[in-house]
Amino acid sequence: MQMKRRLRHASQAILLAAALFLALAPVASGQNASPSSPKEEAKNAEEFKEFLDRVRAYVTLHKTVASSLPVLKPTALPEMINAHEQALGRKIREARPHAKRGDIFSEKSRAAFRRAVRDEFRGPQGRLARKTIQQGEPLKEVHVRINEPYPDGVPFTTVPPTLLLRFPKLPDEVAYRIVGRDLILLDVESNLVIDSIQEIFPPAI
Amino acid sequence: MRKTRILLLSFVSVFFLAARADEFRFPLKSGSVRFAAIGDMGTGDTAQYEVAQRMVAARQNFPFEFVIMLGDNIYGGSTPRDFEKKFEVPYKPLLDAGVKFYASLGNHDNPNERFYKLFNMNEATYYTFKKGNVRFYVLDSNYMDAKQLEWLQKQLQEAGEGDWKICYFHHPLYSSGKSHGSSIELRSLIEPLFIKYGVDAVFSGHDHVYERVKPEKGIYYFVEGSSGQLRAGGLAKSSITDDGFDSDRTFMMIEITGDELYFQTLSRAGNQVD
Repeated sequence: MQMKRRLRHASQAILLAAALFLALAPVASGQNASPSSPKEEAKNAEEFKEFLDRVRAYVTLHKTVASSLPVLKPTALPEMINAHEQALGRKIREARPHAKRGDIFSEKSRAAFRRAVRDEFRGPQGRLARKTIQQGEPLKEVHVRINEPYPDGVPFTTVPPTLLLRFPKLPDEVAYRIVGRDLILLDVESNLVIDSIQEIFPPAI
Repeated sequence: MRKTRILLLSFVSVFFLAARADEFRFPLKSGSVRFAAIGDMGTGDTAQYEVAQRMVAARQNFPFEFVIMLGDNIYGGSTPRDFEKKFEVPYKPLLDAGVKFYASLGNHDNPNERFYKLFNMNEATYYTFKKGNVRFYVLDSNYMDAKQLEWLQKQLQEAGEGDWKICYFHHPLYSSGKSHGSSIELRSLIEPLFIKYGVDAVFSGHDHVYERVKPEKGIYYFVEGSSGQLRAGGLAKSSITDDGFDSDRTFMMIEITGDELYFQTLSRAGNQVD
C-alpha cells in the first residue's frame, strides 16, 4: 500500500531517556565498557606509556614531513587528494626506511593490547564485538606490510567501538584498524601501515 | 511557542494517511528543509546511474536542495576515475543544478574522501551542519572511538531545543537486513545519547535494502542501503520492521516543515515503495 506519512517530534521519549542515560552514561562518555580496577588501570597506563610516547614521536615525524608538502585543503580534484596521499606516504617511508613491526607497538604494550582484546572477547561485550567485526567486512586474504599503503579498494573492517574504548586514545593522524586477525596502526592521511600486532584477534572471528 | 506545540503533540507521534501514489504531494512549504537520502550507491554500475536519473526526474516535482549520503560512496578504489565514474558523472545534473551532497563514510570509503570538496565534509570524518530548523549530525560509524563519542555528546548538548536533530551514518542501529542486521554494539553506545538529547530520526545504510523501522524509544530509523547496490530478497522483515523493500534500488526524499517530517521512498523504476 502506498502511503503518505507525517512524523512529528516524539517528546514522550524524554522520561525514558533520563532513565536510560543514568544507566549508560559511563559508557557513552567514553569510559571502558567494563571498567578495570584502579590497579589494573595503573598497570595499563604504565604498559601503554611507551607506546604512546612512540606514537607521539611518530606524529611529530608525520607533521615534519607534511610541512614540507603543500597543505591539502578541500578540493574538487580527486587527483590532488591522491597525489597528496602518495607524496606524504613516500616521504614518510623515506624518513623511516627501516621501519619494522614493533617499532611503535612496544613489547610491553603488545602484551597490554593482547590482554585488552582477550578481555573484550571473553567479557560481556565479547559476543557483540565479534558480531561487529563479522558485520563489518572481515578480511580473509588481505595482507599488509609495514611502511606500505593500505591496499586501495579494500574495505575497512569495522573496529568494535567497545574495544576502541579499551585502547589508548590516538591523535587524529593515526588510527587502529583490523586486518584479518591482526591489529594495525594506520597513518590516516598517507594511508600507510605503520605498525601491527599479529594474530591478536581470536581465530574464526 | 514551538515547545508548547511539541508538548501538546507528545502522544501523537506518527500519522498514517493512506493515499494513492498519485495523490501524494509534499507540502512544499516556504522555508521547509527538503533533501534526498542515498546509501551504498557508489558502484558506478548502470543501476546507480538509473537511480540518479530518477532523482533528477523526481526533483522536477520535489525540488530538494541537498542530498545526504549514507556511506559506501565510492566502492572499489579511490582514484580520480573512481570519483568520476561513481559520483561526478551519475549525479552531474544535480551537481550542475547546485544540489549539495553531504557524505558520511562507509566501510568501503577511503577516509581521505573528507578532503573531497563535493562531499562537503570539511576535512572531518564526523561533523555537523544545519539547514533551517534541522541540525544534522554526520557520524563515522566505522570508527566510533571515545573522541567521537565525546564530540557527539557535546554537539547534541549544545543544540537548540527547538531544532530537529537528525543523525546519519553508515551502520544501522536497527536493521532486518539478512547480510548485516542491527549494529547492537554501536547501539549500546550511541542510542542513550540519541534518547537523552532528543534525536528525532536516524538514517543509515550498509544493508543493501530499504527498511523503515518501527519507532524505537521514540526515534525513527530508516535503512537506505540500496541506491546503487541491492541484495534482492535481502530483507527478512521482522518485529522491528514497519515497512521495507528489497526488490529494486531506491532513494528517499524528505521535507521538514515546522514540527512535521514528510518522506517518500521511490524505486529506480519510479514506483513509490514507502
